[in-house]
Amino acid sequence: MKRKIHSLSKSGSSARRVERASVGMTRVRNVHDWPSVARDIATKLRPGSVLALQGPLGAGKTTFVQALASVLGATRVPKSPTFSMLRTYRVHRGPIRRLLHVDAYRIEHERDLAPLDLDVELSEPGTALVLEWPENVKKWLARRPHATLVIRIQKDGRTARLSR
Amino acid sequence: MKKLIRILGLETSCDETSVALLDVGVRGETVRLVKHVISSQIDIHAKYGGVVPEVAARTHVAEVVSLLTSVLGRRPLEAKGRATAFDAIAVTRGPGLATALRVGIQAAQTLAWITGKPVIGVNHLEGHLASAWLLPENRRRWTFPALALLVSGGHTELVVMRDYCRYDVIGSTRDDAAGEAFDKSAKLLGLGYPGGPVISRFALKGRDDAYKLPRPMLHDASLDMSFSGLKTAIRREVEIGNREPFGFAQGRLGTGNRSINDLCASIEAAIVAVLVAKTIRAAKQTKAKTVLLVGGVSANARLREDLTRAVRRELPKVAMLKTPVKYATDNAAMIAAAGAWRLLRGETHDWKKLDAEPELSL
Repeated sequence: MKRKIHSLSKSGSSARRVERASVGMTRVRNVHDWPSVARDIATKLRPGSVLALQGPLGAGKTTFVQALASVLGATRVPKSPTFSMLRTYRVHRGPIRRLLHVDAYRIEHERDLAPLDLDVELSEPGTALVLEWPENVKKWLARRPHATLVIRIQKDGRTARLSR
Repeated sequence: MKKLIRILGLETSCDETSVALLDVGVRGETVRLVKHVISSQIDIHAKYGGVVPEVAARTHVAEVVSLLTSVLGRRPLEAKGRATAFDAIAVTRGPGLATALRVGIQAAQTLAWITGKPVIGVNHLEGHLASAWLLPENRRRWTFPALALLVSGGHTELVVMRDYCRYDVIGSTRDDAAGEAFDKSAKLLGLGYPGGPVISRFALKGRDDAYKLPRPMLHDASLDMSFSGLKTAIRREVEIGNREPFGFAQGRLGTGNRSINDLCASIEAAIVAVLVAKTIRAAKQTKAKTVLLVGGVSANARLREDLTRAVRRELPKVAMLKTPVKYATDNAAMIAAAGAWRLLRGETHDWKKLDAEPELSL
């Protein structure tokens, strides 16, 4: 997979354009490439959608959420939710009215997710959820249909791949 | 009219359970901290590398009763010489972790119901601003407009105070808070939690110019800050360092002639440089007469020194007021103090309607 991307990137397209290396795989050279990824995902979001964001510290998970919120028409710019664990943004694009940004970075046991009442929050009309550190809440995720955006750090940027 | 108002402060928004009794003159002229107890959960949370909400709430429940008993005694309603042991209750209503906040709020509601005393639901961030006011010398030199740098694990904000209880947030971090930048840097280096004190300890023995780390938005006109790029830069240095025979992530040994001490010093310098530059810029723009340094990260010695020096050099007429280190992290004394500001303006809340506001802002 990795080799394929490299060969594509050498084919001489403009540096700013985001390339599709394979189905759902996007090369993110720098922060300016995130809005394009976000636009693509925004068209797929529906009320009740859960998007898991997987990637190491500094991969750009929150940066992606900033781009997504902007594409969805949020007026506030998302900040890292690590401390507060849950942040809510009012948006107005298509059927999505509310974007929940959850960070499971500090969650050790799944039961620690319960106080956030995510099931209740998600049932609110027009609500979509993006979740950082899904590895920490596998059981909760397993109970819900969701898509995962896997962000990998490469030598010359990031790759983002959407999977179900 | 009674000369002194005694305020019971309660704080349970995050790591610390804390209870305080603060006496305040009716015009705010006298401020006296009668009692103050703090029970920290840092040791418990260190195991998890951060605060865990369910653990936090359970621990708060156990602690709040024992702290209230130690401050008010076993029979607070029969306190000698006065109708009750306090005249008003100030409790943190947000921002913070909902489950943790509710522990303090329910304790306050119970006390308000039994005693009929007024309740003030305090904004935790206003509490941090009021923490600097607990020091008599700061109160003497305090003039408006004041520009506050509020830095903690969850917040990094530049706030103009035009008067008590009148605020405008004119700058803030766009991504990670400064305290979070310390925590996550420490995590990337395999050091402990909380990251700030650990990094500072290593930094003491390091050279702060050994590594070139980004200082995003340092020179642009905006008063916003950004710390998330630091993680990528540190990750790169760790990867390079680990390729050396004595890579530093594990053994904490030097790489070439640079060590983990140098990297920690460079990280601290990068974070502090941005905070100082933005605070000075904001103070100039708002023609502030006072600069306040508050919040958990204000305990950082390097930040205290560098900001004080920068204010003296660039704004010689401006008073530099720092929160005492012992009131920098979350505590109930500052909540009682902010409660006093509100109470003296006649603001109280209906205890029946008080609820946690996890996303409250200034």
